[in-house]
Amino acid sequence: MTESLRTIAVGFDGSHDAETAVRWSMKLASETNANVVVVNAVGMLGRFDNPTVAFKLEDSVRRLADEYGLDTTRVTLHVDDGDACSVMMRMAEEPINASMLVVGSRGQGKHPGLLLGSTSLELAEHTTIPLVIVPS
Amino acid sequence: MMLVMNGRYEDAGHEEYGHPERPDRAIAALQGVDQLHLESDLRIVNPYAATRAELVRVHEGAYLDELGAFCYAGGGDIDEDTYATYDSWTIAQYAAGSGLAVVRELHEKRDGVGFVVTRPPGHHALRDRAMGFCLLNNIAIAAAELTELGERVLIVDWDVHHGNGTQAIFWDDPNVLYVSTHQSPLFPGSGGAYEVGGSDAIGRTVNLPLPSGATGDVLRQAIDEIAAPTIDEFNPTWVLVSAGFDAHRDDPMADLALTSGDFALLAKTVAGYAPGPGRLAMFLEGGYDLEALRDSVAATLGAVLESPYRPEAPSYGGPGTEIVSNSQVERTAALRIAHEAALREEQQ
Ligand SMILES: [Zn+2]
Repeated sequence: MTESLRTIAVGFDGSHDAETAVRWSMKLASETNANVVVVNAVGMLGRFDNPTVAFKLEDSVRRLADEYGLDTTRVTLHVDDGDACSVMMRMAEEPINASMLVVGSRGQGKHPGLLLGSTSLELAEHTTIPLVIVPS
Repeated sequence: MMLVMNGRYEDAGHEEYGHPERPDRAIAALQGVDQLHLESDLRIVNPYAATRAELVRVHEGAYLDELGAFCYAGGGDIDEDTYATYDSWTIAQYAAGSGLAVVRELHEKRDGVGFVVTRPPGHHALRDRAMGFCLLNNIAIAAAELTELGERVLIVDWDVHHGNGTQAIFWDDPNVLYVSTHQSPLFPGSGGAYEVGGSDAIGRTVNLPLPSGATGDVLRQAIDEIAAPTIDEFNPTWVLVSAGFDAHRDDPMADLALTSGDFALLAKTVAGYAPGPGRLAMFLEGGYDLEALRDSVAATLGAVLESPYRPEAPSYGGPGTEIVSNSQVERTAALRIAHEAALREEQQ
């Protein structure tokens, strides 16, 4: 596992649920020597709503990394334009080349059983690399 | 010249409080048309709900089922940007049907220019997924019908966002040439100059990314230098336009610096690619500042219909000329790699 698990890409939008997923990823990284890329997708409303959100995320990521004893070479924040599903899928490609995707389980959708409205289920259908869905 | 438009259907039910993709947008676009005082030069065709057979040309049946069920269960947020309500499924079907109705009228009569005013917009919608405010890809649904009739369709997408859905749907279709100008970096993050089409359609995708602050002259340079030769070679029999107006300098969603006068020049250029009357239809996509939207619609249609509307002056002097040159280099390199890969495959 340690050999194949180089980079864990974990989705993070600042929510409590996403923080649970980030914590899970950082714990795994500290046990396996993997790196963590914390991924924030900036949607179409991203600029319209709140252009300063990325700075707050940076703080949260730093604080969490310290907690798990991971230094700046091991944990990076990656902010990318796009919907959460597409941005996470891009993490499997150059230049990130993640070997695992991690997301929180929130947004199982307002309507259970429907793919629509659930990033984790959409991702489960489209991902080309292993995906972990962390329950909150 | 005659303007052919879809008749109004009630789209007020597709709304979420505070969301910029709102019913007032369609009203602003219609006010833009009113400013031209077209009277007898305006023909309205009846909208209808596109049928499943028409939709599955570009969307997966399973996705259509999910979307319908999601709406009928009360709707909600599909992703961080995109919402649907109880009424959205019906409204989206009417939006797709409106595009088809306008295109058919033009195709049959071989006369006029089409303008499809519908919500929600469509160019981000993928085969199997809603995103970026879009549920059904209206322009792709119309283009797919035309290619089925044997037409070669040029789609020009001048919305400020890259039309990732349209590009993906026709990625491997040699009968559709997709040309997009868009701000980059910006949502949805795709649309690099190196994206040139799939192995069955190498060169049939042309991406012209522009930096924040780019003005109309830079956009025209990109089209003239990179897209125009490809369009000439493709020799389209039909031209569809993803006419978003969020590249206007007043739009809150992005940072390009176009004026309504730039849209007029752009529309004139694009209309020139149509092989004759009744072979050009424009579909409303984005545009979130209501005044800019209204005036840009008037400028665009005024230029194509040669009506005496006077728009803002075109814009000049913004950044991006170097990026346009780089795009040309990137595209040429990507085309060479794609052709070499195709050749290798052929030899195997
Ligand atoms: Zn747009």
